[in-house]
Amino acid sequence: MIDRAEASRYLVGRLKDELVVTSLGNEKYDLRQAGDRDRNFFNWNSMGLASSLGLGLAMAQPDLKVIVYDGDGALLMNLGSLATIAARQPKNLIHIVWDNRSYAMTGGQPTATAFHTDLGKVAEGAGYPKVERVETLAAFQNVSDRALKEPGPWFLHCLTEVKPAKSGGLSSPTANKHRFMNAIGARH
Amino acid sequence: MSWADSIVRALKNNNVRFLNYVPDSKIEKILEAARKHGGFEFLPLTREEEGIGVVCGQAIGGARGVLLCPTAGLGNSINALASMAIPYCIPCPIIIGVRGELGEFNPGQITMGQATQDILDALRIPAYRLTREDDTEKITDGAMRMCYASDGPMALLVTNELAGWKEGTPLS
Repeated sequence: MIDRAEASRYLVGRLKDELVVTSLGNEKYDLRQAGDRDRNFFNWNSMGLASSLGLGLAMAQPDLKVIVYDGDGALLMNLGSLATIAARQPKNLIHIVWDNRSYAMTGGQPTATAFHTDLGKVAEGAGYPKVERVETLAAFQNVSDRALKEPGPWFLHCLTEVKPAKSGGLSSPTANKHRFMNAIGARH
Repeated sequence: MSWADSIVRALKNNNVRFLNYVPDSKIEKILEAARKHGGFEFLPLTREEEGIGVVCGQAIGGARGVLLCPTAGLGNSINALASMAIPYCIPCPIIIGVRGELGEFNPGQITMGQATQDILDALRIPAYRLTREDDTEKITDGAMRMCYASDGPMALLVTNELAGWKEGTPLS
C-alpha cells in the first residue's frame, strides 16, 4: 500500500508546467499539502467530474500534460468518462486514481472496489492504452516518472489505505479558477 | 439556409471549437450542419453530466466548447452545473433539443421536457427559446455573447416550433 501523502509530495516535487485537476476527496488535500501551485485546479463538490474536467482541459491544452487526481468513489460515479477519454485518446492525460476502497470522507463505507471491481481492468476494458497497477511508493515513483515523459493516456491505479488528510489551504472556486487561468494565459 | 446552419454560424462567430454531445434528432441536424461548415471538433459523451465537466475543462484551458443534448440530458447534468459551472463562474453554453412539448409521442419524455424551464429558472440559468428560423442566428449569437460576458451557464432551447417533432409510434 502507498502512503498517499508521501506519494503526493514526490509527485509535486517532480512537476514543472503540468496542470492538475483534483476530485473532491482527501486526495485533493494531500496534493495541496504537498505544495502550493498555480496550476492546480481544486474541486469542491463535483463528485465524479475530475476525469471529465481533465479531458476538456487536455483537449484545450494539448501541449501540456494534464494530471487528473481522482479517487475510487468519485470515479465509480462517472465510469462512462473512461470510455469517452479512451475514444478521444488524449496523449497528454495522466489519470491517477487513489483507491482506498472506501468513501473515506463520509465514514469509511465500502465502495464497489472493496468487493469485486478492479478499476484498472475497467480502464483497460474502456480502452486506455497504458494502465498500471501501483502498490508501492517505489512503483509510484517509477510509473509517474514514465507517465510524465511518455505519451498516454495513462491510468495509474494506486492502492492506498484510508488515512485522513490534513484539510484546509484551498481558495474560493473563483480565486482558484482565476489563478489557474492566469498561470497558463487562458481567457474565456 | 436551415435553422441548424443559423445556429452553427452563430457558434462560429463566437469562436466555438468543441461540440460535445449526446445526440437526439434535433442535435444531429446541428452536428450535420457543423460537419458541413467545418472547423469544429466533435466529442461524443456517454452522459450529459460528463459534458458539463468537459465544457468547463475546455473553458479553464482557454477554449470554447458547448454541450448539445436533449432535455432528458439536462436532468442528468444538474449537480455538475450547480457545483462546478455556477460557483466557479465558468461560461457553459448548453444547446438543448426540447422534448415533451408539441407533438410528443413518448410518455417518458413529457415530465422532464416540461420541467426544463422551471429547473433552469431555479438554478438562475438564463434560457432562450429558438422558435423561428428568421431570428435563430440573432438569438443564438446574442445568447452566446451574453454567456461569455456573464461567466456562467446559458441554455438555448431548440423547440418543436422551430425544428418540428419526432414521429413515433402512438400508444395503442
